[in-house]
Amino acid sequence: MSYNYIELISLVLLAIGCFFILSGSLGLIKLPDVFSRIHAAGLIDTLGSGFIVLALIIYSGFSLLSFKLLLIPLFLIFTSPVTGHAIALFAHESGYKPRGKNKK
Amino acid sequence: MAKLNKDSLKTLSFITYFIILFVFWFILSGYLKSLLLFFGLISVLFVFWMSYRAKALEEDSLPLKIILRLPFYWIWLFKEIFKSGVTTTTLIWNGKYSPQLISVKASQKNRTGIANYANAITLTPGTVTIEIDKKTFLVHALSKKLSQDLLTDDMNKVITDLDK
Repeated sequence: MSYNYIELISLVLLAIGCFFILSGSLGLIKLPDVFSRIHAAGLIDTLGSGFIVLALIIYSGFSLLSFKLLLIPLFLIFTSPVTGHAIALFAHESGYKPRGKNKK
Repeated sequence: MAKLNKDSLKTLSFITYFIILFVFWFILSGYLKSLLLFFGLISVLFVFWMSYRAKALEEDSLPLKIILRLPFYWIWLFKEIFKSGVTTTTLIWNGKYSPQLISVKASQKNRTGIANYANAITLTPGTVTIEIDKKTFLVHALSKKLSQDLLTDDMNKVITDLDK
């Protein structure tokens, strides 16, 4: 069984993307308050999806499809900060204070 | 396009918007038959009319000047996202986070630039813009290193230069 290089590269990129999504999910559970959890969600949005889409583009070869795939992170770049900011602003306005220090 | 008056700049931005919409339609559909291209033209015209009616084609919202610099800016932004993403990931795994609030000054001139800067801060993992008060942002950062990266003002300068 022989891998060619393109499959290998896309596999590595997929693994990196999965790792970022895993750490983002871990952060969602582990971090102390709502503001810090937004950071973890942003990690999934930007790096996780970005690397996975990049891997898919390399795997499927360059065609019209890869432009379509490129549109996904482009839209995420525009929409994900808006949602993050909306959550943060709402939490701030309803009086949540961010936890200052390490909880340990 | 050094010296254009306001009207021709507006026309130019209309044409650019139209071309962008049509290219977008073509990428999403991929059809080359003339009938379908005609239908695509009709739908693009419809969207164009709708956004004209919604006054979404003001000068400020369709910045022609920066459209050529955008790809370079996105590459730079992706590099920044990757750097601070790695920092955030290590913070999550080793648990040495110390969240803090800082205020950041923005030096962009128009509304698009300020929104751009706020979005870029939120987009880089580890920093979130909470509140925007005229030209000062309230930013929540996950650790001291991330907030100091922001306070070096590099990102601010790049985004201000984008609009020159």
